[in-house]
Amino acid sequence: MTGLLIGQIVLTIVLASIFLFRPSVTTGAGWKIVAFIGLCVLPALCIVAGMNTHVQRSEQTQFCISCHVMVPFGKSLYVDDAKHIPAQHFQNHRVPADMACISCHADYTLYGPLNDKFRGLARIYFQYIGTAPDPASITIPGGFKNAQCLHCHLGARGFEENPVHSALMDTLKSNQMSCLTSGCHDTAHDIQNLSHVKFWSPVQ
Amino acid sequence: MKLRQIGEQRLLQVSSVLIILGLLIEIATLLWFHPLSFVLFAFVGASLIGLGIVVYLASLVFGVIPHAEGGS
Repeated sequence: MTGLLIGQIVLTIVLASIFLFRPSVTTGAGWKIVAFIGLCVLPALCIVAGMNTHVQRSEQTQFCISCHVMVPFGKSLYVDDAKHIPAQHFQNHRVPADMACISCHADYTLYGPLNDKFRGLARIYFQYIGTAPDPASITIPGGFKNAQCLHCHLGARGFEENPVHSALMDTLKSNQMSCLTSGCHDTAHDIQNLSHVKFWSPVQ
Repeated sequence: MKLRQIGEQRLLQVSSVLIILGLLIEIATLLWFHPLSFVLFAFVGASLIGLGIVVYLASLVFGVIPHAEGGS
């Protein structure tokens, strides 16, 4: 996909170069149409396609953990312990392994993706211009919402037939009881204890 | 060659330069897998391309004016 986009960009550069070195060709009607395509339509498409590619790329696990402060969070995905919820989801492909972070941390609302991108820009600012926080001190503003879990689990047979889940369904849906802090699934990215745990090595 | 035509052609050249620069930055960001590549594309590359399109559209406006004057 990126190859196609680069091909489109190269084609646009070639067309734009014609009007850079020979702008007088646009006196002809045919060349005016070519100029419109080369200097308006194709560049606009390049912006849209480029933005789309970058947004898709920013959803990849490798992209998220390329920031220094996120490295321990990426490492925690390989903890060899089924009680560690992110690791369990990642290792068993309950979330796509190449999009593990965004699967659980995306804001599944109308303007959620836009909000995610603005939050991402703020993190880039702290990484390169401001002061990067200590990874252990990073928390999710407002806490981790059950809606993130229920986005996938709600309606799933294994989840709904569990007697504990069915008994607490209303409080879970209304976020009165958190999936993580209620003592049920309370081990998420336990990055402070990464030096004491065993890690899983995927078979290549 | 009329002065307006020279102005229109200069605008076309400026537009081409801006678009080519923006597109070169876009290629660089596509080949660079890094969080900063997104920022570079969104704030520099896309802005240059967008500005180039605006300059091109401005050149179209300049191109229409002499024709309209001739018709009146």
